[in-house]
Amino acid sequence: MELLLTVNGSLYEVNVHPTARLLDVLREDLGFTGTKEGCAEGECGACTVLVDGKAVASCVMLAVQARGKEIVTVEGLARDGELDLLQQKFVEYGAVQCGFCTPGMLMSAKALLLANPVPSDQDIRVALAGNLCRCTGYSAIIAAVKAASGQEATPLMELPGAAEELAAEVQTDPDTLAAAREAAEKIAGLGPAPHGEA
Amino acid sequence: MVQAEVLTPATADELVAALARATPHTRLLAGGTDLVRDIRRPGHEPDVLVDLTGVREFAGVRLDGDLLRVGALTTFTELQHDPLVREHALCLALAAAQVGSVQIRNAGTVGGNVANASPCADSATALTALDAAVVSIDGAGVTRTRPIGDVLLGPNRTSLRDDEAIIEFAFPALGPEYRTAFTKVGSRTAVSVARLSAALVMRFDAVSATLADVRVALGAVGATAFRDGAVEALLEGRPADAEAARVLADGCVAAVSGSIPDRPSLPYKRHAAAGLAYDSWNALALCPPCEPAWG
Repeated sequence: MELLLTVNGSLYEVNVHPTARLLDVLREDLGFTGTKEGCAEGECGACTVLVDGKAVASCVMLAVQARGKEIVTVEGLARDGELDLLQQKFVEYGAVQCGFCTPGMLMSAKALLLANPVPSDQDIRVALAGNLCRCTGYSAIIAAVKAASGQEATPLMELPGAAEELAAEVQTDPDTLAAAREAAEKIAGLGPAPHGEA
Repeated sequence: MVQAEVLTPATADELVAALARATPHTRLLAGGTDLVRDIRRPGHEPDVLVDLTGVREFAGVRLDGDLLRVGALTTFTELQHDPLVREHALCLALAAAQVGSVQIRNAGTVGGNVANASPCADSATALTALDAAVVSIDGAGVTRTRPIGDVLLGPNRTSLRDDEAIIEFAFPALGPEYRTAFTKVGSRTAVSVARLSAALVMRFDAVSATLADVRVALGAVGATAFRDGAVEALLEGRPADAEAARVLADGCVAAVSGSIPDRPSLPYKRHAAAGLAYDSWNALALCPPCEPAWG
């Protein structure tokens, strides 16, 4: 069926299977592969996008249900090649590790900040409760969202000795640091990945 | 894959016309948080899919005389924050706030939650305690009103016909003399499917400090949410004190034991029921917090 969808401010006309999910159309028809498929049942939050400013799981919403609504994906956060403040804080606070959950985390956090520009730690935890991350332990993510709201980030736990050493090593090696930053920025969604890439 | 036809009615009349085409393979789509997963299973593709979400007249909450009318397409996020629901049916707002995650609450609807008929549906427990009536419309344009207990028949089974959609829930709006609570136990504190849920509604007579119109609904322990008439009768007219909390807890434990006598989870759920009963009693804030006497 023919469908008109507004994604990141642009209007797209797509011809989709009637029961195609919003996730499928975003990724496969429109190439917005920043939106990830994780559990495919609305539990993990990797597929989170904004629909009319609200975070929804695009794996349990049909594309037809998004007709006439404003959809924003992670690709819609950066402006003119500059990361959104939220993305910058994710990079700065080390809130990105493998990166698979990151687009969903960013969109849930974005929806929170749109509705509540000065959230408490608890507000952030509730807003991100539907986004699973198996790497970061969440603390850095919560700190990044707090910082993006202009509030002082809650201090992270003291790093244990070995990790502290490793961190010091990374910080003193400009090559490693630059590579890590580059990877993190890419993962945090600066521009869409080329079509077909995950 | 079968090409389902998707109908997108925007008005009640268009909805009736869409429902008139329903067959046993037709599915009605609201928030999609259960259905989208379901229809993607091989062999479960619908012939016709009716997207209800465009019929905006069946979304939102209004006060109609003494009745609170909750549109079937009201999302959990909307229920959670709705001032009328908070004032006149707090337990429903509390139940909505504990459904899934933000993403699920933004899409999922109360009508979909009931029509999907999961025994764990949080809103079904609250609506059962609120004595909600289900208002539906069918493909002939006929509206029907019946108690929620007559709609929920068992796990994923309702008395709704193929061409019948829930459009609204209606129940007496509770006045300030009423206290309500909703609590649930799951595998974790948030984004959790209920292993056991409880909704309490009762009128508190401030002069005599006694309980009246006591309603105790339990969910996720049987085929559907149900009212526990036995414990309600024991609490009726009783002073709101620690003894009432104990009666409630004993009643809930007995109800759970009676409902799932052979289930391996029974020993756990007996304990959980007692804890949940105390949590919900304390949430009513009718007397100083009470603690269960474990043992």
